[in-house]
Amino acid sequence: MRIGVLWNKLADPKNVPRLFAFSLGVLLIIGLLVPIALNPDQIYVRPAPQEQVDEGLALAPYDRGGEPLKEAGVIDPQYPENAASLGMITGYMSPIAQWISSISPYFGTSIYSSPGGLIDEILYYTRGFDTILESSILMMSFIIASWLSINYTMNRKNDEKEIKKDFKKAINDSTQVANEVKANDAKARSKQLRRDN
Amino acid sequence: MMYVPQAFISMYLPAIYAGLIVGFIATMAIAIKREELHILILTDLVGLAMIFVVSAVGTDLAEALILPGLVVELAETLAISEILITREMRKIEQDPRANLKTSSSMFPQAFSLDMEIMTTAPNFIALVLIGYGIFLTGFTGGAVAGGGIVLYALSKKARGLPVLILDGVAGVSGIAWCLWIIGFLLFFVTPQYWLLALFLAACGLLLKVASKVGLIGLLMREDIDKE
Amino acid sequence: MDIVTLGGNLLGTIPLGDIVLYLTPFNLFLFAVLLGFTALIAFSKPETQIEAAKFNTLGVAEVKVDEKEFKQRRFLSVICGIASAGAMITGDLFNFTLFMALVGILNIGIVSAVKQTSVLNSAFNYGLIAMMCSLPLFGGAAIILAATGTLSLSVLSQMSASPMVVFGAILMLIGILGESGVAPFFASKAEMFRTPGSPFIVIIHLSSLFIIVRAVEILLLVLW
Repeated sequence: MRIGVLWNKLADPKNVPRLFAFSLGVLLIIGLLVPIALNPDQIYVRPAPQEQVDEGLALAPYDRGGEPLKEAGVIDPQYPENAASLGMITGYMSPIAQWISSISPYFGTSIYSSPGGLIDEILYYTRGFDTILESSILMMSFIIASWLSINYTMNRKNDEKEIKKDFKKAINDSTQVANEVKANDAKARSKQLRRDN
Repeated sequence: MMYVPQAFISMYLPAIYAGLIVGFIATMAIAIKREELHILILTDLVGLAMIFVVSAVGTDLAEALILPGLVVELAETLAISEILITREMRKIEQDPRANLKTSSSMFPQAFSLDMEIMTTAPNFIALVLIGYGIFLTGFTGGAVAGGGIVLYALSKKARGLPVLILDGVAGVSGIAWCLWIIGFLLFFVTPQYWLLALFLAACGLLLKVASKVGLIGLLMREDIDKE
Repeated sequence: MDIVTLGGNLLGTIPLGDIVLYLTPFNLFLFAVLLGFTALIAFSKPETQIEAAKFNTLGVAEVKVDEKEFKQRRFLSVICGIASAGAMITGDLFNFTLFMALVGILNIGIVSAVKQTSVLNSAFNYGLIAMMCSLPLFGGAAIILAATGTLSLSVLSQMSASPMVVFGAILMLIGILGESGVAPFFASKAEMFRTPGSPFIVIIHLSSLFIIVRAVEILLLVLW
């Protein structure tokens, strides 16, 4: 094939995602050949799975020590010098959360459910800027989607007739379904009756 | 200085290989498929492979990094599917006959469900869900409360919802977003007020997630069938 | 490679917890240019195009941008400019990929309100690529994290690259190529420009241009 033909095919936007997907897939398979191993020297290390559950900690698997408002928990970030009250958020629990954790051994699995906790510490405090970006991404796509739907795709101000027509169609559809259900019902009942007799 | 437990080190290889293989299957499916809607749905599978690869690291940091990844996937799906609908509608607008083709329609069909339970129960269930969501605060709370709003919105079947309500929900979402950002900035600028910042962030997040999930519910209820 | 060798003297850092933004003459220049351009488009008005195909017909040949659409587009363009400027000075690998994702979604948003179906078509196809890019971008960053135990660029630049780091960097590279629409994946993004509203459309081009320059710097820091 001539290279010009190939370039022409690439110029069609429809083919581009598929080409991209193909090259990405090939690269992923090449990844199976690369020597891969986890470096044991990581930041924000967590204990082995089930370890804290076996110890019977109420906050398992998110217990990193610390006492609410008094003592900081143990957290191992990249730059401890940039986080003045490091570990306080991990240790913090609202009074309600404290009460629930005192009566239930399964509080840890819902620890995000109170302000504070381990994930909040990382997401809000040490890596808070990531979360700002993340929420900005969400906000922007909501702006795009809701702008389009309010101003265009859902904007039905100018076509009342269509709304009426759609309404009629919906009512017809549902009566049709209801009739079918009724007919099926009658059929099943007569069958049952025959069997009983 | 803590080191990664042996369990995570031995699990890393199987986990990342699973991620790479899932990613390979998904990307090849996209390369083969021709229908645009299928490709859009299949890209979600690529996002799943990304979650495999990130979570394989097995530290608290990896758990925290999954959340942005998930949110980016969700947000992009939302925006791009809306663009797909817009494109199809513009096409029909420019050439009304295009709609008469036999190819499958992108738009949901109008369909009304007549059930007693849809009118009575949702009010109560939605109220309980929203109350519980506020009690939980934070992300989970937002999701639960938003679920309540979705349930309420879906069960009410009136159509042609005034745009004002949508604007209002979107406005609350925007304000909550600002509240949240202020909470974060307080974290960086004045670390000694971390407790205040924490509450600002938690309540902002509750409002934000709840209103956004609710907004999806309101949008979902609107049938976009423009036959 | 060291930060100082690539970008010149380190002028200062902005610590935000684990994410430390750093300023060198190179990064600062890119940052300032993008902010200047963002300020420019914040105060400009959109152009009006004349469709050449309709010159001799009686129909309306002007392609205008109406008020509402203009406002939405300007807002998204300004945010896009700020986001690209932020990507220029960030000192964290994962943070950079998030900036890229934000710029990608904003690029789609800027053209989302147009009426030309061909533009919407290429925006949709570009969106598909942007969604797929989350795997190579975030996955590549996670593989580098697993291999080195850090995401901070200043720490990464001191480390030598293992084959696993190289694989992670190549994954990130293909993600960057797709997200910023560089050959051979250019077609869907290039088609997005063919719409009126010039100063706002240009930010799409400018942001990907600057981001690819910055991405090269980051990959060099990680690999060398």
